[in-house]
Amino acid sequence: MSAWLTPDEWQAFRLSLEVAARSVGLSLPFAIAMAWLLARRRFLGKTLVDAAVHLPLVLPPVVVGYFLLLIFGTRGPIGAWLAEHFGLRLVFTTAGAALATAVMSFPLVVRAIRLSIENIDPHLEAAARTLGARGWDRFFTITLPLTLPGILAGVIVAFSASLGEFGAVITFVSNIPGETRTLPLALYTAIQTPDGDAAAARLAALSVGLGLAGLALSEWLARSVRKRLGP
Amino acid sequence: MSRLTVRLLALLPAWWCASASAAEPATPAAPPHEIVVFAAASLTDAVGEIARMHEEESGRTLKISFASSSTLARQVQNGAAADIFLSADEEWMTYLDERKLVLKDSWSRPIGNQLVLIAPADRPVTVELRKGVDLAALLGDGRLATGDPAHVPVGRYAQQALDFLGAWTKIEPRLARAENVRAALALVERGEAPLGIVYATDARVAKSVKVVAKFPAESHAAIRYSFAILAGHDTPDVREAFAFLTSAAALDVFRAQGFVVP
Repeated sequence: MSAWLTPDEWQAFRLSLEVAARSVGLSLPFAIAMAWLLARRRFLGKTLVDAAVHLPLVLPPVVVGYFLLLIFGTRGPIGAWLAEHFGLRLVFTTAGAALATAVMSFPLVVRAIRLSIENIDPHLEAAARTLGARGWDRFFTITLPLTLPGILAGVIVAFSASLGEFGAVITFVSNIPGETRTLPLALYTAIQTPDGDAAAARLAALSVGLGLAGLALSEWLARSVRKRLGP
Repeated sequence: MSRLTVRLLALLPAWWCASASAAEPATPAAPPHEIVVFAAASLTDAVGEIARMHEEESGRTLKISFASSSTLARQVQNGAAADIFLSADEEWMTYLDERKLVLKDSWSRPIGNQLVLIAPADRPVTVELRKGVDLAALLGDGRLATGDPAHVPVGRYAQQALDFLGAWTKIEPRLARAENVRAALALVERGEAPLGIVYATDARVAKSVKVVAKFPAESHAAIRYSFAILAGHDTPDVREAFAFLTSAAALDVFRAQGFVVP
C-alpha cells in the first residue's frame, strides 16, 4: 500500500487513524456515563442536557469548530487555562483534532449506548440487588456487559465518523501536514491543487474503503453479538 | 417513530418534486441573467464596495463569491458558471487560459498589492526583514499563518519571499496553512498565530493586527491581480460589469483600500 500512496498521503491516512482512535478513547468514558444518566436517571434540566448532547448532530460542523476555537483557543477561557497550567496547546495540534472529532461524534456514541441500556431488562438489576450487589457492583457485572453491543456499535460508528470529520477540524485546528491534515483535509487540499486529481482519486478511494470496512465490521459484530445474546 | 412522523417523511419526496418543478419554468422565463463574479479573498472589502456602487448606478446586482484564487480557478475548471474571474495572481489565470477558459482580450492587470508580516496588535514584535532573518525564533512555540503555499497565491508569494530571505527551510514546518488569505488573517486576529504573512490591504482592514514589517519588493514576484471575463460569457451585460470593475471610480476604491494602482 505504501507504494500505492505518496508519503504525504500515507501520513494523512495514519494521522486519520490516530485522530479517530484518540477521539473515541477520549469520548467513550463520558459517553457511557452520559448514556446511563439519560437512560436511567430523572433530573432537573434533563431535556436540556439531552438537547446539548445532540447539538453537534444538527449544527453545521463549522459552528462546532468555531465554538471550540472560542473556548479552547489560545485566548479562550479553557484554552488559556490549559496552556498555562499544563502547557497543552489544542489549536494546530493532533490533540485538538481529536477533541473536535470527539465532540462531533459524541452524540452517535451516546445514542447507541443509551438504546442498549434502555433495552436491558430492569428486573436483572433488581434481581442482582436482592442478591446483595451494590450500585457500582451491579453496574460493572450486569449493566455494562449487557451494554457491550451498544458500546461496540457506538465505537465503530464514531470511529468511522471521526475518520471523515472535516468542518470542525479545519475550523478549529487548521490544515497542517503531519499534525491535523487528516484524510478529508488532504483530499480537500488535493482538489484545490493544480493536477491534484490523481491524488484526490486515491484519497477518495481510500476513504470509501475505510468506510466500507467500518460498516462491514459493525454488521459482523452486531450479528455475532445477536447470536450470543439472542435465543 | 410516530405515525405522523412517518407520514410527514413520506411526503418529503413529493414536496421536493413539487418545489423542483415549480422552480423549473422560472429559469428560462427570467432573462436578466445575474452576473457572477469570482473574486480572490483579499478583494472582499474592495469588490464588495464596488459591487454596491454598481448596483446603485445600474440597478443590477453582482453575485460575488470570495475564496482563494485556487479554489475559484478549480471551480471554474470544473464548470462553475462564473462570468468574471478576479485572481490574486497571474498563475491561476494562466492555468485557466491554458484550458481555453479565459476571454483573452479582456485579461487585464489593473491593481497590485504588497506583502507584509503581521502580528496581533497587543504583541510587541519588531523585526527587520533582511537576508538571514531568524523568524522562527520570533514564533516561540507558535506558528506562522499564511495561505497554503501549495496553491493559495499569498502562500506562494510568502514562500518566495521567505526563500529570498533564507528563512524558508526553518519556517516551512512551522506554517499554519490557511485556505485563503482572510483565513490566515483571522488566525492572527484571534491570537492563535503570533505571526502571519498577508497582503498590506488585509492588514489594514483588521483592527486587532499590526504590520510588523513590509517584505522588500525584490523578495517576491510582483503581486499583480489578473482580471478577465471567462470564455463563453462575453455578453454586453458582462462587458458592462467588467468595465465597471476597472473604471476610474472602482480604481479609486482600490486605491483608498491600499491597493497599488499603477
